[in-house]
Amino acid sequence: MTTHTLELKNLSKKIKNKTIVDDLSFSVREGEIFGLLGPNGAGKTTTIRMIVGLISITDGDVFINGDNIRGNYEKAMERVGAIVENPQLYDYMSGYKNLMQYARIMPGVTQERIDEVIQLVDLEYAIHDKVKTYSLGMRQRLGVAQALLHKPNVLILDEPTNGLDPQGIYDLRNYLRLLANNGTSVVVSSHMLAEMQLMCDRVAIIQHGKLVRIDEISNQEEEADVKVHFQVEGDLLQAKKILAELNPELVIEDFGKEIIVQTADMKTIAELNKQLVLAGILVVGIQRKTKTLEERFLEMTKKGGDVSEVAVPVNE
Amino acid sequence: MKWLSLLTNEWIKIFSRVRTWIFLALPIIIIIGVAVYDKVTTDEAENNNWKQQLTQNINDDKKALEEARKNNDDDFYIEMLESNIKQNEYAIANDISPYETTAWQFMKDMAPISSLIGLFVIVVASDIVSSEFSKGTIKMLLIRPYSRWKILLSKFLATLGFAFVMWLAVIVASWLVGGLAYGFGGMDQVYLTFTEDQQVKERLIVEYVFLNIGLEFIELTVLVVLAFMISTLFMSNSIAIGVAMFTMFAGNIIVTLLATKDWVIYTLFANMDLSVLIDGQNQLIKDLTLPFSISVLAVYTALMLALTFIVFQKRDVKA
Ligand SMILES: Nc1ncnc2c1ncn2[C@@H]1O[C@H](COP(=O)(O)OP(=O)(O)OP(=O)(O)O)[C@@H](O)[C@H]1O
Ligand SMILES: [Mg+2]
Repeated sequence: MTTHTLELKNLSKKIKNKTIVDDLSFSVREGEIFGLLGPNGAGKTTTIRMIVGLISITDGDVFINGDNIRGNYEKAMERVGAIVENPQLYDYMSGYKNLMQYARIMPGVTQERIDEVIQLVDLEYAIHDKVKTYSLGMRQRLGVAQALLHKPNVLILDEPTNGLDPQGIYDLRNYLRLLANNGTSVVVSSHMLAEMQLMCDRVAIIQHGKLVRIDEISNQEEEADVKVHFQVEGDLLQAKKILAELNPELVIEDFGKEIIVQTADMKTIAELNKQLVLAGILVVGIQRKTKTLEERFLEMTKKGGDVSEVAVPVNE
Repeated sequence: MKWLSLLTNEWIKIFSRVRTWIFLALPIIIIIGVAVYDKVTTDEAENNNWKQQLTQNINDDKKALEEARKNNDDDFYIEMLESNIKQNEYAIANDISPYETTAWQFMKDMAPISSLIGLFVIVVASDIVSSEFSKGTIKMLLIRPYSRWKILLSKFLATLGFAFVMWLAVIVASWLVGGLAYGFGGMDQVYLTFTEDQQVKERLIVEYVFLNIGLEFIELTVLVVLAFMISTLFMSNSIAIGVAMFTMFAGNIIVTLLATKDWVIYTLFANMDLSVLIDGQNQLIKDLTLPFSISVLAVYTALMLALTFIVFQKRDVKA
């Protein structure tokens, strides 16, 4: 039986008659990395704010480790770590003193744990400098550190990769995986679709405050999502015509120097290859490609939205 | 349990700011400066001739009084001249020099420093809530396993604690500096004031000083609560500082303008200056008494605190 550490039940938020989060329900399992994906203004941050009690809930409930945050906030928040939008820290104190602020008020944080977390986010070299001298990425690292201090079993990170360099993102991803393997539930929101695909076990796609669907990342290889790319030399249009005549049931497109056929069946692929070769067309490469989460996401949320517009992380 | 660490945190935040140390140092430097200046410039000989000096003052006041009566001047002004004359005559008759300075007299003279403390305490109180909103740090604090009222209470108590430290530092500094400069004696020294029926009366300076520092702390508490409330309501420290300073400094002007209205005694402004009530002299509104004013302040404080906590508990944090 799977245990759910975080449960949203028909969660809604209205501000001045505008529905920002609309009847959102999902459950996050113990030990999984759960993504919240949606275009700008979809309501990801608003949802997270409700989960951690920063804003009131118009309707619905949030349960953390079985405790309703509306009824038993202190108990529910005890094992939660979070970053909501950018981590804001006390500029006039050192990174270390900032961490101490949170270490002091959270249960069970030892000196060893503090040192361990600092090492984990690679900030030893600057931990005693004032935070006002920190770069964006260093602040983000410190933000991650404060969220991890008390070993939460529900970790909520709103755009955690914002400002991190590739090494930092890589390290974070690995660390989150390690945490998840040890039973922590991690909720991440991000604009970076490829990022989500690499990081998450499941992704909830949210648009206009509504849940569109939840995708399992691991078994996403559905028939319609797999395409085979044939790289050919010679007359591309001729090749496409031949294949189309011989296989009227398949969807066949051409792009650049490639013919793209929508199929997942190995036999069909071999057959197509044979047909091309017999027609005297040189096949120099065959590639099977799965539609990325990004493509599916764009497909689903497309409303004149441009790829770059959605895919580029925003530094607020 | 862990709840006290919230208070420790706030305390550390206050004292991590450079300005806090400046706020603490400045009044002390001023006190030392005043004592040194006084020592250097005061002519002892002149003080020994104080009776001559007072006689001179009496004659001047009498002339001014005649003039004022002729011109039908303000009653307030005429009364003031009359009491000055009475006081000085009493001093000469009973051999009580108003120029003799002791540690206690020095503390009494330093009382206006409390406005400066008030100002600094307002700055800290205004900042402690609103700056966390403007910097966005509030959200990092509110997502901890503590009800909001506990977090606000820790901020409130930390500010009160800071006010207390400022207040104590100034008392100790003025007593020490006064004692070192003028000697620590003078417990029995008196000053002259008036009874209700305008008779000159002697009162121990020590008594005044103790009463006054007690009242100052009440005033400081009210200022803290006021600044705290405004800063929570508007999430802006400049509005909070502005309103609190306005109440503190412009209060008298407003009271003067409204003095004819019956309800003025129930306003916050009219009751903010408690030390004038000790001797009941130079009071803008005659009806006020200490117990009345303190009761009014208590009611205002309770209401402001309740409003602050209710609003803070419900507020959506979008920082
Ligand atoms: N206080 C508010 N009043 C009115 N509308 C608001 C308020 N706060 C947020 N919104 C609206 O709610 C919607 C969701 O905002 P939210 O910040 O949750 O989006 P998001 O999914 O986190 O977006 P992003 O990817 O840009 O971070 C936006 O359309 C925003 O305009
Ligand atoms: Mg957001």
